[in-house]
This record gives sequence, C-alpha cells and structure tokens, in this order.
Amino acid sequence: MTGVVLYAALGCFGVLAGVASGLLGVGGGTLMVPFLTLAVGLTQHESEATSLLVILPTAIAATLALRRRGVGNAGLAIRFGLVGAVGAVLGALLALALPASTLRLVFAGFVAVVGIRLLRDGLVVRPA
Amino acid sequence: MRDVAGAPREMTRPSSGRFGVGRELIAIGALGGALSGLLGVGGGIVMVPLLVLWAHYGQRDAHAASLGAIIPISVAGIATYGIAGQVKVGPAIALASGSILGARLGAGLLARIDERLLKALFGAFLLAVAVLMAFRR
Repeated sequence: MTGVVLYAALGCFGVLAGVASGLLGVGGGTLMVPFLTLAVGLTQHESEATSLLVILPTAIAATLALRRRGVGNAGLAIRFGLVGAVGAVLGALLALALPASTLRLVFAGFVAVVGIRLLRDGLVVRPA
Repeated sequence: MRDVAGAPREMTRPSSGRFGVGRELIAIGALGGALSGLLGVGGGIVMVPLLVLWAHYGQRDAHAASLGAIIPISVAGIATYGIAGQVKVGPAIALASGSILGARLGAGLLARIDERLLKALFGAFLLAVAVLMAFRR
C-alpha cells in the first residue's frame, strides 16, 4: 500500500481500533501492532514505536473526557505514570536489544493471552 | 474500618510511600510501563486489573488512573524508540485521527451491545492474530 490509499486504510483501521478500545478497553496496541506488521509491512520495532505514538494522543483525549466528567486524579496519575515511565524506557530498551523475530514471538504470546482472557470472559458463566 | 485500638485503617486506597505513591502503585506502574515499552501497547491491560485486585481501586478510578499514567509511559516509550529511529510519524497521525473518533463511537455503543458475545468473538479473533504473527516469516 502506498500514498493516499495507505493513509485512508490507516485512518479507517484507526476508527476500528478506537471502537474496540472504547467498547472493551482493549484494542489499541493489541490491534494496531499486528495490523502495522502484517498489513502495512512495518518491522516489529517500527510497529510498536508507531503504536505508542497513536496511544499517546488517544490517552490524552480520553483523560480530558474523563476530567470533564470529574473522574480521575491528575496528580496521582502523573506520579504513578512517572514510575511507569522508568519501566517503559527499560521495556523499550529490552525490545530494541531483541531481534525482530524474537520480539514478534513475544508479542504473539501476549496477544494469545489477551485473546484467551477475552474468550473466557465472554464464554464462562460466573455466578452473579 | 477501625480496629479495636481505634486506629483508622484505610481500606480503599493504598498507603503512600516515599514518592507519595503506595508501594503497590510503584510496582504496578513499573510493570505496566515495562510491558508498554516492550510491546508497544498501553499497559492498561495489566494496570487496570492489578489496581482493582491489589491496590483496591474501584473499576472506574482504576481505569482513570491507568489512562492518566499511560500519558507519561507512552512519552517515555516514544522517546526511547524515537532515538533509535523507529517511530513512523505519518502513519501514527493517520491512525490516531481515526482512533480518537472511534473511541467516542465505541463508548457511545457500549450500552447497546452484547458485551459477552463481543468479547468471545474478539478473543477468538486475537487468537487467530497470535497464530498469524507467530508463524509468519
């Protein structure tokens, strides 16, 4: 895919990923990374990096929407997030140190775990 | 909740440590951040359940805290991958413009769908995606 077609496809897929994450709380990176590697042809590392740049504005928009409804504690989230940022640098450095094929297998394992959890949530009847 | 000695015990939120954030939050944040950086995802998938089960947050507060934390977490990940030259800005802008619109649509649809069926279908779809990713060369 190239040019206008590529960007139109990316925009449409973004809508789908957004709907999934709005509905299920899952579906941002879990969907975008496979799409970018399998359909668009980015490398595993490029896909993950690009996915994070999509997640940032989406999280900002969602946080602002929650704030308007009075949900959340910005100070707590930022301090909590700063600890997370240290973890993120370490995680990204680990990813960059791994060959793409290994990282893709790790990612596939993660997607499988998420898939199994959703299937279980959807299928298993729990007592109320 | 008060014990016999009369000392109030905070049951709904964790105690604050030396960073003004409880130890549980430090561990959950570090874990969520590491997963986010390693896999290019938000990290909410581990942070929300852990905030509920371990740090005793309500579902809604856990969701809000996780979303807010994803902002500095993703900035750190983007910077690390960016220095390595891996970030593709054009595709990210196209995806993000769709995704912000889609998230609003999804939240609006929330009340009108069979969530269990959707979860089962989406779970099966993700398993297929996992197989495709694992076996593609």
